[in-house]
Amino acid sequence: MRLSRAWDNRFEAMARAGRIGRWYSAVGNEATTIGTTLCLDAGDAISTVHRDLGAVLTQYLDVNRLAPSLFGEGDRTAWDAIRPDAQPLLDRLACQVFGRRDGFTVGHDRSFHYGLVKPEWGIRHVGMISHLGSMIPVAAGLALAAVQDGTKAVVLGFIGEGATSQGDFHEALNLVGVMKLPMVLVVENNQYAFSTPLDEQYACAKLSDKAPGYGIAGETVDGTDFEAVWSAMSRAVARARSGQGGTLLECMLPRMRGHAEGDGSYDLIPQAERERFLAMDPLPRFEQRLAALGLTDDARTAEVTRVATEIIESTVERAIAAPEPDASEAWRSVFAPGEIADAFARQQSEVNHG
Amino acid sequence: MAETTYIDAIRRALLEEMERDANVFLMGQDIARFGGAFRATKGLYERFGRLRVVNTPLFESGTIGAALGAALAGKRPVLEMQFADFVSCGFNQIVNNLAKTWYRWEAPVPVVIRLPYGGGVGAGPFHSQSPEAWFAHTPGLAVVAPSTPREALGMMKAAIRDPNPVIYLEHRVLYRREKEDLPDGELLTPLGRARVAREGRDVTILTYGWTVHEALDAAAEAAKEGVAVEVIDLRTLVPLDEETVFASVKKIGKVVVVHEATATAGYGAELVARIA
Repeated sequence: MRLSRAWDNRFEAMARAGRIGRWYSAVGNEATTIGTTLCLDAGDAISTVHRDLGAVLTQYLDVNRLAPSLFGEGDRTAWDAIRPDAQPLLDRLACQVFGRRDGFTVGHDRSFHYGLVKPEWGIRHVGMISHLGSMIPVAAGLALAAVQDGTKAVVLGFIGEGATSQGDFHEALNLVGVMKLPMVLVVENNQYAFSTPLDEQYACAKLSDKAPGYGIAGETVDGTDFEAVWSAMSRAVARARSGQGGTLLECMLPRMRGHAEGDGSYDLIPQAERERFLAMDPLPRFEQRLAALGLTDDARTAEVTRVATEIIESTVERAIAAPEPDASEAWRSVFAPGEIADAFARQQSEVNHG
Repeated sequence: MAETTYIDAIRRALLEEMERDANVFLMGQDIARFGGAFRATKGLYERFGRLRVVNTPLFESGTIGAALGAALAGKRPVLEMQFADFVSCGFNQIVNNLAKTWYRWEAPVPVVIRLPYGGGVGAGPFHSQSPEAWFAHTPGLAVVAPSTPREALGMMKAAIRDPNPVIYLEHRVLYRREKEDLPDGELLTPLGRARVAREGRDVTILTYGWTVHEALDAAAEAAKEGVAVEVIDLRTLVPLDEETVFASVKKIGKVVVVHEATATAGYGAELVARIA
C-alpha cells in the first residue's frame, strides 16, 4: 500500500509541476485494490481501470525481492517462485506510463490502458479502453474460458460506480449469473464519476442491491477497511472457485482526489465533504490497526514508507532517463502476423508505390 | 463428394475446425438445440456440448466483449449475430475493443463474427442491411464475403485459423440457393485474395457476395450480344487484393462496381477511389 501511495505522490507532484500531462490518482483506493487482489492466486485474472495501481502492483510484484530488507524467511509464496524479478518489471511499468520504449506497449500509449498476459508468470492483466464499462464483458469472457478449461481460475474486474450505468454492466453480469461464471466485479464507489455525484448516477440504495437481479451474490463494504475488503473478497473468491458463481462487491470509498489531477473536478466537491473524505485515508487506518495487533510499530511503519519511497524515486528517475520509442514503431501493423497481415502488407505497398 | 448448400458449407467448416482445435467454440443466440435462426449450427450442440456451443442471452455487446476475453485466454470464438443488423448493438466492442487489441498490446484476438446480411428476402429494414462499410472503415478488422459454398467453407476455416478478428458476411439469399459438389478433405481458401469469376475483355465488374451471381448472370446476357464481361469476386474486402483488381482494370480500362449496400460513403466508393 505504501508503494502504491509513494508512486501516486510522485506522479501527483509531477502533474502539479506540469512534467506529465495527466495523472489519475489511486489515493484512497489502496485498501480496496490491494485487499481484493491479495486474495487471488497465480493464473487468476484482473481487469483494471484508472485507480487500480494497487491491484497491478499486487499481481505483478514479488515484494520479497523488491524490498528484501523488509521481509523475512517464509514471506515468499508459491506464486513468487514463478514471478519475474520485481524491479525490472516495476521499471517496465514506469516506462509504460512515461510512454518509453521499454514500456509494455513500446510507447503506443502512455497509460494504464495496456494489458499484460503472461500465464508463465501467473500474471493475467487486462487493461482498459476509455469507454468505461466495456471491459466487464471481457472479464466475463476470461471467466467463461476458465469454465470451459476447468481451470478454477477466478477473474477480478474493477469498475467505478459511473460504469454501472452502462449497458455492458448489465449484459455482462447477466451472463455471469446465467452461466455461473467465476467472476468478482468490484465497484470502487468513490461517490463521484468525473464530476457526477451518486444521486445523479443511480437511484438504488446500494449498488450491490442490483446483484439479486442477476442471480449473483452482492455485498457492500467499507472500501477503506482492509480487513473488511479482504474478508468479503475471500468469500467471493471461495464462491467463484467452488462453482457457485459471481459476486458484485461494492467498496465504498472516499473521493480523495479529482478525476484527473488538475482537471477542476475536485473543486466541485463541497469543502466539508472533502475534509471528511481526506480523514478516511485507508493507509493510516490500516497501519494503526496493525500496530494495535502488535504486528508493526511506528519505527517499522516509517521504515516501510522510507523504503517504498526510495524504490519509487529511483524507478521514476530511471524511466524518465529511459529511451523514447523509435518513430518507426508508429507503423506497427494493425494485424497480427498471418495471411491477413500479409495481404494487408501487399495492399499497403500498392497504396504507397502502386 | 456431396452436394452442399452455402449454409451447410458454413456448418461443415465449423464442425471441421471444432474437431481440429479444441479451443474453437461458438457463441450466439438460439444456436444450441435450435441450431440457429438459419440452422447454421444444427447438430453441433449435440456433438460438442454446451461449453463449446454456447447459447447466450439476447445480447450483442456482451457476447462480443466476452469473446474478446475468451480469446485473450487462448480461445478461438466464432460468434453468430442472428442478423447482421443486430451487430450495431455490439459496435463499440468491435471497433474500440476487438479491432484495436493487437495494435495496442500485440495480443492476438482470433474472433470470427458471422453476419447474415443483405436483402432480397422481404425482411424489412432491420433484417436486410449490408453493414460492411462500418467495419471496412475500422483498422484492425478483416472483412470477408464469400459468394459460393466452396468459399464459404474455405474462408470460414481460414478465418478461424487467422489470429485476427474477422467480420464474415454471409448473404442469406445464398444460404439454400447456392449448391455445389464439394470434395472431402481439407478445403482452405486464402484470405486477402480475389478471384476472377469470369474472364472477359470489354468491361470489368468488381463485386462480392450475392451480387457476384447477379454479375455472372448479367455477363452471360451480355455475352449473347458479344460483350465479354470480366467478373472479379473480391472475396476479401479488407485487406483488398489490389493486385488482382488493378490487373483487370489496367487490362480493360472500363469498370462497373456492383454491391447492394448504401452508395454514399459505401464500400463501392472506396473501390472507385482506389482504381481512379
